[in-house]
Amino acid sequence: MLSRSAERLYWLGRYLERSENTARLLSVYMNLMFDLPMGLEISWRNLLTISGSEKLFFKSYDKPDEQHIMRFLLADTENPGSLFSSLNFARENIRTSRELMPDEAWQQVNEMYLLIKTKADSTSQRRGRILLLTEIMRGCQRFTGFLSGAMSQDDAFRFIKLGRNMERADMTTRILDIGSVLLAEDRSDKLRQYENTLWINVLKSLSALLMYRKHRRHRISSGDVLDYLIKDANFPRSVIHCISEVEACFKFLPGSDGLSDNLKELSTLLLAKDFYQMTPVRLHDLLDTIQIKLGVTNNQIAASWFLAPQQSMSQI
Amino acid sequence: MATLWENYKITNAYDEMRYSDTQARPASQRLSTHLEHLGNAALDLRKSAAELAIMEMGVTFTVYSEEGNIDRAWPFDIIPRIIEYKEWVNVEIGLKQRLKALNCFINDVYNGQEIIKDGLVPAYIIESSTNFLAECKGFSPRHGVWANICGSDLVRDKDGQFYVLEDNLRVPSGVSYMIENRVITKKVFPELLQDLDVLPVDDYPAHLFEMLVSVAPEHVDNPRIAVLTPGIYNSAYFEHAFLAQQIGAELVEGDDLVVRDDDCVYMRTIKGMERVDVIYRRIDDKFLDPEVFRKDSVLGAKGLIRAWQAGNVSLVNAPGSGVADDKVVYAYVPEMIRYYLNEEPLLPNVPTYLCSDAEHLDYVLRHLPELVVKPANESGGYGMLVGPHATSDEIDLFRTLVKSNPRNYIAQPTLALSTCPTLCDNQLEPRHIDLRPFILQGGNSYVTAGGLTRVAMKKGSLVVNSSQGGGSKDTWVINTGL
Repeated sequence: MLSRSAERLYWLGRYLERSENTARLLSVYMNLMFDLPMGLEISWRNLLTISGSEKLFFKSYDKPDEQHIMRFLLADTENPGSLFSSLNFARENIRTSRELMPDEAWQQVNEMYLLIKTKADSTSQRRGRILLLTEIMRGCQRFTGFLSGAMSQDDAFRFIKLGRNMERADMTTRILDIGSVLLAEDRSDKLRQYENTLWINVLKSLSALLMYRKHRRHRISSGDVLDYLIKDANFPRSVIHCISEVEACFKFLPGSDGLSDNLKELSTLLLAKDFYQMTPVRLHDLLDTIQIKLGVTNNQIAASWFLAPQQSMSQI
Repeated sequence: MATLWENYKITNAYDEMRYSDTQARPASQRLSTHLEHLGNAALDLRKSAAELAIMEMGVTFTVYSEEGNIDRAWPFDIIPRIIEYKEWVNVEIGLKQRLKALNCFINDVYNGQEIIKDGLVPAYIIESSTNFLAECKGFSPRHGVWANICGSDLVRDKDGQFYVLEDNLRVPSGVSYMIENRVITKKVFPELLQDLDVLPVDDYPAHLFEMLVSVAPEHVDNPRIAVLTPGIYNSAYFEHAFLAQQIGAELVEGDDLVVRDDDCVYMRTIKGMERVDVIYRRIDDKFLDPEVFRKDSVLGAKGLIRAWQAGNVSLVNAPGSGVADDKVVYAYVPEMIRYYLNEEPLLPNVPTYLCSDAEHLDYVLRHLPELVVKPANESGGYGMLVGPHATSDEIDLFRTLVKSNPRNYIAQPTLALSTCPTLCDNQLEPRHIDLRPFILQGGNSYVTAGGLTRVAMKKGSLVVNSSQGGGSKDTWVINTGL
């Protein structure tokens, strides 16, 4: 497979995963905000922290309220991390790799792009927003379905899978970062009262609630949620699972010697951690470490298989 | 309320579907009746359905504009254009004959130049052709075939006769739209296609693939094929991606390719460098190889011509094929058919005045308002004069242009391009059309069943190019068994 194509498929995988995760996060967050009382430490603004885009937001908006934040994260073309931008990038990458996958896959991505393009204005209303987000989540799942049903599990497939799992691991750490707020020593009594709801929503935003209940079988606690979402070997969005998926792809790809070392170190580190006694600061630092390590692997992937920078158009 | 055909008034051009205002041609009888039963409202719904399908399938072409390049939805008219099979058979044979002769000509031009020595074609045509590549002299590609893919433009005049208007031998485009038009029609008129014996068009990629394999360098059994595109900003990028996908080839850009010291072409893959045997290039000659042609080109790959001359890679169409894609050369095609094939041409040319000929030039200058004047080397309908539709200023401009460079211009009588019913503002109206069939020649020859019908959407207009507001129609070659 062409290096150029490998690069495009990797980013296709990442952007689609980002789209699905963003859609789910926004949708869960809206549900959560229905349930919470006013004046809690958790607000719409946390969404900006999770996506790491506070600075960019305040460049164009002054008030971090629901309307503005939703517009910014959903439909803003100036925000490279918005759902619209992610879908747009995903579409560009698949449009230029159409020869590598089933037609339905392209059409699915194209339809989602057209949908958000025409419906962007309806997102000022909660109802319109919910409908759109639901459609996007379904669309991303249909895409994954098409591939698993109609695409050979060849190198092209592996690069999409690589991208998907790298992005997934990254997103899980971002969402868990909200735990730093939930674990803070000085958190308000009111927040303590709603803690359970909040951890439930953390699980929901990673589609993990049901599986957590099935596999952990006791009441929801912070340590347990963290342990599950970072260390569980079988849950598809746990950090450890994503890492093992990436390693599995490496095994089949040519010239991947030594590429797993960085990830092995990371797994060893994570598996040795005790999440039941974690301070918010140490959690935040650990999540940072994970993201940095994932960044290293991302660069190794690029260096091993993609066109050198001067040969390719740079990706965001 | 008026029925569908009540307001349909044929013009003095040949109408593809109607004998008269009230009567359909036999092959179009079923379609005419069916459309009438559907009525305007239902037709409008089907039109919307077609537009939606085009958007969702992502059938686009790129338009250059001041604000940058925009991806536009492919313009499509849902009313198909019908050709009877028994008529088409002859056109098909005529097209194969024509391409064979053209290829003999190109091969001759770069080798013995017998046709010039024999005095049938004047030498200046070659010497002054901007598409003649001296680098190709003495070379002969597999099967002696240079232009493996040709898109010829056919028009039907008042008399109902098909004429060849031009042969596109460089990088003709449009075949993907021909295939996608049928996909859309199957969604829009599924009931009709089931009842009529319409020849399929979606076997083109299979024939394209076979042809590409047949021209691979000798002793390569399982050639690696690549489609070379200028990139996503090219107006036909959609087609490049489409064809690569359909034939299972790699879609490459110039910087994916490397020519090494062994004069072989490699592409950069995740496994390192891999050999490429056949390149279906969609880049003009001049941009193919900065080592030989334009030094500033970043679209092609350095050394490509070297590899081609060494016989290590096949380029399709072969560089230099464009020498026959010239409206002056065009005028000599009937002669070429007689000369090389010893056959009578089956498809007539449009009568052509060569401005390089003093007598012709004199005639052209005196009859500009009646003629169509075209530059010899342009494509896409640019830089031409349609006399009857031109202002006196435009005519004066062309008088100056033609006088200053007669070799570069030809003139033809203005043909009354045939019309076909077309949905305009929820009503059927006659609009002028042409037809671009695609012809393949490698080890064997192949012609598409029909081709891409292009339609001038503006009333009375004769300009069918999609870059200038033209649309397209699905083309049905129907076997009526009559």
